[in-house]
Amino acid sequence: MKKYLFLSIASLFLASAAFAADSQIWDAMRIQNIYGYGQVESLGLGPLFTMLQANYFAQIFLAVLIGVPAVFLLHYLVIGPKVFSHDGKKIYAFSIFNRIVHQVAAISFIVLIPTGFIMTFGSYFGGGEFVRMMKDLHGIATISFGIVVIPMFLMWIKDMLPNFDDIKWMMIVGGYLSKEKKPVPAGKFNAGQKSWYWIATLGGMVMILTGATMYFLDFDIEMVRSMTGLSQIDLLRVAAILHAFFGMLVVALFFTHVYMAVFAIKGAIHSIITGYKEEEEVEILHSSWYKKLKKEGKI
Amino acid sequence: MSNNEMARMKFYCDDQRCIECNGCSVACAEAHELPTGVSRRKVITLNEGVEGKEFSTSVACMHCTDAPCEQVCPVDCFYIREDGIVLHDKDVCIGCGYCLYACPFGAPQFPRDGAFGTKGAMDKCTMCAGGPLETNSAHERELYGQNRIAEGKVPMCAAMCSTKALIVGSADEVAKIYRTRIAAKGKGVQSAPYGWSKAYSN
Ligand code: HEM
Ligand code: SF4
Ligand code: SF4
Repeated sequence: MKKYLFLSIASLFLASAAFAADSQIWDAMRIQNIYGYGQVESLGLGPLFTMLQANYFAQIFLAVLIGVPAVFLLHYLVIGPKVFSHDGKKIYAFSIFNRIVHQVAAISFIVLIPTGFIMTFGSYFGGGEFVRMMKDLHGIATISFGIVVIPMFLMWIKDMLPNFDDIKWMMIVGGYLSKEKKPVPAGKFNAGQKSWYWIATLGGMVMILTGATMYFLDFDIEMVRSMTGLSQIDLLRVAAILHAFFGMLVVALFFTHVYMAVFAIKGAIHSIITGYKEEEEVEILHSSWYKKLKKEGKI
Repeated sequence: MSNNEMARMKFYCDDQRCIECNGCSVACAEAHELPTGVSRRKVITLNEGVEGKEFSTSVACMHCTDAPCEQVCPVDCFYIREDGIVLHDKDVCIGCGYCLYACPFGAPQFPRDGAFGTKGAMDKCTMCAGGPLETNSAHERELYGQNRIAEGKVPMCAAMCSTKALIVGSADEVAKIYRTRIAAKGKGVQSAPYGWSKAYSN
């Protein structure tokens, strides 16, 4: 296993070192790059990227950064958190494996998101050494996230498939718009958590792939190019656009996730640390799962 | 453009004259002692093998009007001189690659000299006008190459072009030479110089 990891990392370094000799962008390919730019018959990705990056990406990120927490602040003030008894019985929800995988992903995100924002608003930080360091950290955190994203995807996929509860949950927005403690239709995970799961895993994989494409820049991904018919430079433009687009989704849902775990449901964060959820919390917020556990005689 | 206004500098490569000798590219790399793997100027051949349509031309940074690279840079490290030369500050650049994605000419390049072989600060043609550091200082020379413009010299590539295909100068002067050459040839309609429609809006 270790040997395999070492070999794959070493080959990546070699690949990036070989770039000068056989460039996909600056050698013969440079012609395609110039030819394709903004021409009617091309996809016009160059001008599209320029327009989006120059006028929209940073602005939308700023709106998400301010807007999403503002909505939650309002929710906290108007409706307030849900408080469940922490003295009752506990239900074992997350194995030690679940928790470790989640913690590695969590730490990675805590690094990825601020460093991503610092790059996006690089001019406010004056660029240079500091922002460069943040960019390197962003790359390092990608590796730890990359190690756990597939285990996380697999360990929870069975519980994350959509079902009828999700539609009912969506209709009442998970009961978060009322102060009442009425049982909410949801299995082990509710529709909100499921959305976050899919964005974090599949979206996260898109982030890794597009980020890696930009990182290696000139790395010949012949297969992707022939599959999509894109030149290397257009591939990079697509990667940059997708990285920004999915980045917005990831950030918006990450903020939501943190708000729910830390503020909206008092003490919910303990479950992913100790593995145990409060019985009352499960009874209300995951009523279908609660009923199932009862029937199986597990509580 | 009137005389008291700052002249706008342009590159022009006459593809009827370029003989694909690559002299410009080599002269540039030598003059600026560029790191290996970086080639600020490059000679390309278009329509290769298509009879009557094949031609070669030399491309580097075109120093575009409303430069797309400048528009996308997240750390705003570009600055555009009064004469239109597009330069950037390597001490501020974070090597993100965005300017390359925005550039119509594939001009920005990235030596792998960052930590762990990550993309280092971007490098591109400066029209031999150096960078933001003290003019002709050792530091400027090391990061950006020669500052020939400050010494009143023609950029290296154009200075050594043996057929005088590659020309650089104020827009007025370049246009004059371009018109004279067409008139001297006296036949056919010539389309605008390759790349101009993308680089220059005036
Ligand atoms: C799952 C989350 C994410 C992963 C796995 C990821 C991965 C990466 C990787 C590998 C790179 C290339 C780094 C380099 O060139 O050194 C990158 C670049 C970048 N990322 Fe992310 N990223 C994530 C989230 C975000 C978010 C949320 C933002 C914005 C707030 C963001 C903004 C950027 C920016 C601006 C770049 C600069 C382009 C570059 O350096 O090549 N990223 N990302
Ligand atoms: S040719 Fe490219 S690098 Fe040069 S000014 Fe135009 S967009 Fe910028
Ligand atoms: S690579 Fe440097 S110059 Fe180019 S856009 Fe990024 S920070 Fe700006």
